[in-house]
Parts: sequence; structure tokens; C-alpha cells
Amino acid sequence: MRNTEQRFVAHIRDNSVRLAAACTACGVCYHACPMVPRTAALDGAAPEAVMAGIRDILRDGAGTSEAIAFAGACTRSGVCTPACPENLDAAFLMRLASLRVRGTLGDAPRVASKHDPGWSARVKAFARLTMSEEEQAKWL
Amino acid sequence: MAVTPDASVTFWYGCNMARHGEIVRLVTRILEAVGVEAAPAGGPGYCCGSTQEKNARIAAGMAVRTVEKFNQAGRETVITWCPSCHMNMHDLMAPVTEAAFETQHITQLLVARADQLRPLLTHRVAARVLAHAHHGFHGRVPVNTDVPMLLGMIPGLTVLEHPLRVPGHMCSAIAAVPGELARAHRETLAAMDDVGADTLATIFHSCHREAVALERGRPIRVVNWIHLLAEAMGLPHTDEYRLWRNAEDPRGAIGADRIAAAGDVAFERLVEPELRRPPTI
Repeated sequence: MRNTEQRFVAHIRDNSVRLAAACTACGVCYHACPMVPRTAALDGAAPEAVMAGIRDILRDGAGTSEAIAFAGACTRSGVCTPACPENLDAAFLMRLASLRVRGTLGDAPRVASKHDPGWSARVKAFARLTMSEEEQAKWL
Repeated sequence: MAVTPDASVTFWYGCNMARHGEIVRLVTRILEAVGVEAAPAGGPGYCCGSTQEKNARIAAGMAVRTVEKFNQAGRETVITWCPSCHMNMHDLMAPVTEAAFETQHITQLLVARADQLRPLLTHRVAARVLAHAHHGFHGRVPVNTDVPMLLGMIPGLTVLEHPLRVPGHMCSAIAAVPGELARAHRETLAAMDDVGADTLATIFHSCHREAVALERGRPIRVVNWIHLLAEAMGLPHTDEYRLWRNAEDPRGAIGADRIAAAGDVAFERLVEPELRRPPTI
């Protein structure tokens, strides 16, 4: 049996290929996304070209600067899914593209992403303030 | 081990909810009141992997570990709170590691048990409430209609509607985009003004921790929807995070003994900067 990381990566790759093949790059999801008008790097971008770049990213390609910006701008609003005329889970497609440009599969990150190295210690510190010792023992 | 959902479920509260221990406690009591005995589980030991998604090895390890722990617990249902955890379970966790449980969001469970919950909401809560709604997650679980529906059962409480939907699935998603959280807060206050709301009901924890500071200098109240249900049920509670975040001196508000118990260094480095951060607007 493949190990944990391999199964996880295979799941991302398999679904990337599946959704890239099904996507027609029509750009309807791009029009629906509330982050587009909030992302300066997408000013004047052609929706179809951006989505063609997203498909390229999903297929291990380099994508385009605008496609990378679009994937990096995704905040998981999810309005792309009901907008998709192909009835694809466009939000999952964008999530996969977002993971890829952030370097999840081991590539160099193509966009900056939030990473809090103190996250775990911070959560535990707050837990010590808001939970009793018994609650911490049972709930964490 | 066969455990019926009514007898015992896991309440997977996520990780950052550790800031809001009283919400975990209240959810457990509310579930118990509608016939569901819940075992809370959360924190870094039950991470969905989203916090480490830059690295597949770490994210996958966390995700698999969490699914396996839920499997070992033997409960048939995991009740979720956090939209990131809920979506990660469906999108990346359960498809990779077979899950021996079903997942249901807390709002879905309470809506399904609305007939049991309604008679328990006996205390009037005089409030004109606007729910803080995001675009995201509603497509998976209709939180933007379910939460107002549940709050609408509270006597004395008026639920107000406004078309504002903030981008993202919760405020942590937009907090990293320069200017977006402040914009969301400005638009939220304007929406409250438009409809005459005096209370903002946050749905998720990350929105709550970002929004509580909006109370400063404004005649509004920021509460989580669980706080409102608890108030209507007469369940005593204190939103300590809100008090600490809005205190001029968070250290004084928390008290030296509790800070010492939590660890002085950890408090100074990890907790205090967050509590002293200036409000977005």
C-alpha cells in the first residue's frame, strides 16, 4: 500500500487531471468570483485565458501569471460551483489549483501564502486559558 | 464498537476554537439538551491539515491521523463546526483514508432537531440581529439560512436580512488579503445600520475573533450564534475572548494567576500580541 503522502498527492493529481479535462475554460466561474475585482493583478485579464492557465496548472504546467494570481486569490467563496455551466465542482478545482501554486506538491511556491509557525503553540496557549485541565485532557 | 448517533457523537470543534472554550462547552450542553451526547475533540492533535497545506507530507500526515483517531473512537457521527475542517474532510481527508463515520455540520443537526430545541428557548433575548454571512461554505451547508432560522426561534429576538455576503468561507480566508478584512467590517457595519441591527451574530470562530473589536466605541454587540441560543436557554456563560480583546489591559482582565498557569512566555509571545492588535477599523 502506498504511504500516506503518496495517497494524498495521488488524490490531488487524479482530481486535478479529471477536472482540467472537464473544464472548458469558458470563464463563467471567473466572472462570478468576488475576488476578481479585488485582485489588481487580474485587471483587464481575459477570463477564458485565465481559466486556460488554471487548466495548465492542474496539468503540472507553469500556467500564466494571471492564472497564478487567480489561483492565489482564491478565498474559497464557492460561488464558482453553482455558476459552472458544466456542473463541475469548480470550487474544488480552484482549491486544487490553489494548493498547487502554493507548493503543496513539492514545487517551489508561486504565490506567497499565509503560514503561522506559532499556530500549534498558540492554540495550546489559548486552550490553557479557556479550558480546565480536565477539559484539555479530554478535548485536545 | 457500535454507538448510535443519539447516544454519542464526536463534536469536532477544530483547532482555533480553543480560543473560545465556552462555545465548545455550550455546544456540548445544547446538544445534550436535544438528546445528543457529544464528546468534544479538537486542537492541533485533531488538525484537518489545512494549516500545513504548503507541505503535502505534513498535511497528509495530520489528515490521516485525525481520520484514524475518529475511526478508533468508534462513534458513527462526527459533528463539525469549522467550515475548513468540514470541507477538508469531504475533499481531502475521507477520500484518502477510509472514514468509518459520517460527517454532519452542527447547524444541520440543530435544524434537524429544531422541534426539540424550540421549547428550550424560554428566555427572551431582546436583540435585532444581523448574521455575519460569507459567500463560502453556504453551498455545502446552508448556514446563511439555517443560522437565522435557528435564531428566529428565540423569543424577543428579531432576525434581520441583508444581501451582504463577505468573500471567502470565513474571515480568516480574507484576513491575509490586504485591506479586505477592514473592507468587510466596514460593509458589515453599514449593513447593520441599513437594517437597524444592534447585534452582529457571527457564525464561525475566526469571524468572531476578528469582529469582537468592532464593539469598541459603537453601540453594538458582537456575539456568536451559539451565545444567543445559550442565552435563550438560560445557560450561563462568559465570552472571555471578547472581554480580553476589548480590554485596555488584557493582562489585567485575564489575571496574573491564569496567565502564569498558561505560561508567561507563551502568553507574552503568542497570546498577548493578538489580544492587543488594533481593531481593523
